[in-house]
Amino acid sequence: MKESLMDILCDPLDKSELELEVDERDGEEIIEGRLVGTVTGEVYPIEDGIPNLLPPDMREE
Amino acid sequence: MTDLADRRGVETAVYQPAEDSRLLADAAVEHARGLTLEVGTGSGWVAEQVATETDARVVASDVNPHACREARDRGLDVVRTDLVAPFRDDAFDTVCFNPPYLPTDPENEWGDWMERALSGGESGRAVLDPFLDSVGRVLAPDGRVLVLVSSLTGFDEVVERAESEGFAVEEVRQESYPFETLSILLLE
Repeated sequence: MKESLMDILCDPLDKSELELEVDERDGEEIIEGRLVGTVTGEVYPIEDGIPNLLPPDMREE
Repeated sequence: MTDLADRRGVETAVYQPAEDSRLLADAAVEHARGLTLEVGTGSGWVAEQVATETDARVVASDVNPHACREARDRGLDVVRTDLVAPFRDDAFDTVCFNPPYLPTDPENEWGDWMERALSGGESGRAVLDPFLDSVGRVLAPDGRVLVLVSSLTGFDEVVERAESEGFAVEEVRQESYPFETLSILLLE
């Protein structure tokens, strides 16, 4: 995902802000990392450049 | 073409572009502008048409991880989501959606990703209704929605639902096929 997507993303649970943690990047592109809910503490993984922002109860599919 | 098993075609986890995709892409290339989200992007083909044919900046989303990967392989910005849940208020100028719309007997569901791409539950509106109820939140004040509706899904019911959410509804495309008529509604 492009880092600029942070401007339009929020925590799906309560629409609060997310914090980006980067493990691997390629310029503007975040390849591996996670988005963390600043209020909920929920962790949303970024794998192969795709953030998984499904709420936790839908993630195990 | 109305039977889910027929529509399923070869075994695959991602819905591939068909008549409905082409109709939505055609309308979206004409009407999309600004920051544009395609919900349920599937193969990513419609989003790719909008990205290449217009000045819109495009983001694609899907609940299906296989679809997300296929769309990303087209070079799209992809987010795995449940409809519009992880997007901020007023984020988008345009939202496009070709929903799963085929009415499905619950006894006949098979529970894989292709069913999720096709089945609209018993009414055909099991995904469309929550979309119409939630999309207004992520639209900028002068934003618009382009959504595909099949006659199988109940055209009047969808228009009524959109109007009850405060949208003005205009039909901007219509094509008839042997078993259904497909329309694209522009909601503003």
